[in-house]
Amino acid sequence: MKFSFFHLMPWTELTEAPEEWPTPNESYDPIKGKELYDRYLGTMARAEHCGFDWVAANEHHFSPYSLMANCNLVGAALAQRTSTIKLAMLGNLLPLLNPIRVAEEYAMLDVMSGGRLVAGFVRGIPHEYIAYNVSPDESRPRMKEALSLILRAWTEPEPFGWEGEFYQYRSVSIWPRPYQKPHPRILMSASNDESAEFVGQFPSMVGMTLIIDLDIAANTLDCYRRVRAAHGYETTPEDVLLSQQTCIADSDEEARAHMTEALKYFHRILMRPQQDAQRIVLQKTRFFDDDRQREFFVKRLNTLKGRTLDEQIEAGSVICGSPRSAIKQIRRLHKVLGAGVINVNMKIGNMPNQVVDRGMELFRDEVRPALRDL
Amino acid sequence: MTRIVFTEHEVELPGGALVVRSAGAGHPILHLHSAGGPRISPVVEALAQRYRVLAPIAPGFSGTARSAKSIKSYADLLSQYLEREGGGAIDVIGQSFGGWVALWLAARHPDCVDHLVLEAPAGLRTPGAWEPRNEAERRRKLFVFPDRAPADTREPHILQGDQEVMNQYRDNVAFDDELANSLGLIKARTLVLMGAQDELIPAESGRLLKARVRQSHLIYIFKAAHALEIDQPERVFRVISDFLTRGEGFLVKASASA
Repeated sequence: MKFSFFHLMPWTELTEAPEEWPTPNESYDPIKGKELYDRYLGTMARAEHCGFDWVAANEHHFSPYSLMANCNLVGAALAQRTSTIKLAMLGNLLPLLNPIRVAEEYAMLDVMSGGRLVAGFVRGIPHEYIAYNVSPDESRPRMKEALSLILRAWTEPEPFGWEGEFYQYRSVSIWPRPYQKPHPRILMSASNDESAEFVGQFPSMVGMTLIIDLDIAANTLDCYRRVRAAHGYETTPEDVLLSQQTCIADSDEEARAHMTEALKYFHRILMRPQQDAQRIVLQKTRFFDDDRQREFFVKRLNTLKGRTLDEQIEAGSVICGSPRSAIKQIRRLHKVLGAGVINVNMKIGNMPNQVVDRGMELFRDEVRPALRDL
Repeated sequence: MTRIVFTEHEVELPGGALVVRSAGAGHPILHLHSAGGPRISPVVEALAQRYRVLAPIAPGFSGTARSAKSIKSYADLLSQYLEREGGGAIDVIGQSFGGWVALWLAARHPDCVDHLVLEAPAGLRTPGAWEPRNEAERRRKLFVFPDRAPADTREPHILQGDQEVMNQYRDNVAFDDELANSLGLIKARTLVLMGAQDELIPAESGRLLKARVRQSHLIYIFKAAHALEIDQPERVFRVISDFLTRGEGFLVKASASA
């Protein structure tokens, strides 16, 4: 089993929830911003010495929720601060971006890091299509075409052109090419059968987050495995990543206390601004192909917000507790879902940095050693 | 849009008779059909709106005289036809089998060909390429969008005749070594179009052409299998017409006002 240390790089200076998204940036203090980047990058680099196999970042826009408008820049900074840990970009919001640029940046990251890149491609959260003025209706077909193009860009030995529905290039030959052959491992996310079927068509890992029900998650992963088999790909546990908001502390009580406060800040302050923008995109566009998928997405967030911490732990939505409890919860995820990579996010909301640091130590000293058999 | 009607005429050449369909006016282009026979696709019709399209029927297809019995001799016959037509080097488009012929035309008679467009050209199927188990499987792999394929209206005896002629032209050759070694003789600026989902002509064929034909461009058509003109007629027409109009300038995106 592998463990990934994910950081969302939140802006934690807010005391009240902004009311809109994009969130006005007048209150952003770049001096504080630099402090946070230094702090967060230091924490992420430290993951290499705390028993983590991967360190992970992702991409968000126009919000204090995350200060990573481009996770590749975070990856580049980490490539210089680390030497062995994999750099998991989870991921570039591919339908919003220039796929050749993404292919090039990922190739650069892979070479600069000596072949440590895990290349994540995700659709993004619905409202973020407003950020780059891309139609959400085009999300999935853009994703499919862009990824097909990137795989060509990484592997074609001769300059080539591309004539597609969304992308047209007359002559492409990226320099550098990726370090890893034939290319870095790819990861895409899935939360339902439709997205699992989509991911299963590609030589890609699958990542799941915001789990609300282990049975639903298990069915989605079964669907992913079936589609992969139909396309000739064998699936191992290492193809399945689960993202978990995580708090490991010296006792269950301490972990719960910290997690409760952090989740409150996360949901009520950081997640609040995008609610209206999200609603507009979900109601007015075909970001999801049908009502069922749309309703499940909305239900997922509302369910998580409405549950107690105990209910979230029971449902497999979060990892929270003493090292012993965390070990038990991780073993359960591995057993029920067959996941081979757990992506832990310890900096939830305004979780104190020293709690994150202590959690990393406890992971290194107690949790990881107990899970070597997985 | 003008309604396009192709007329057919037979030309007597030193090498034998050649039946040619033609339509349109202006700058002439030669369009060489695939093993599926001399069908006029929407792309060919669209080309005939802008160009004078000359579409020969490969000797032996559609019950025509078997004036050429090999791909090279067909290419030589075409050079005689072009010399008869006058007008110097011509733009040539070849689909699959027609691409194979076009390559030999450009290699053996380089002064005949100005721009060369190859749509999933046959003749260079590299070893290890996927082989269909039967004809039904081969037909399935022709298209991403089989519902776009026109019905094959050939009479059974014509269909059988075309298949026999095609087998004779192919002569059990999947990879034409002599052609591969002659690609350096091609002077024409060449555009190679490959279906991104084509399993019948592997991507390696396109890459080989890109590597060995001096002035060449390789473009993948997304969501197209082997039958490019059927799967993605607008995209194929767009890139071909831009290439024929602007030559090497087609590499540069034209401004909206251009």
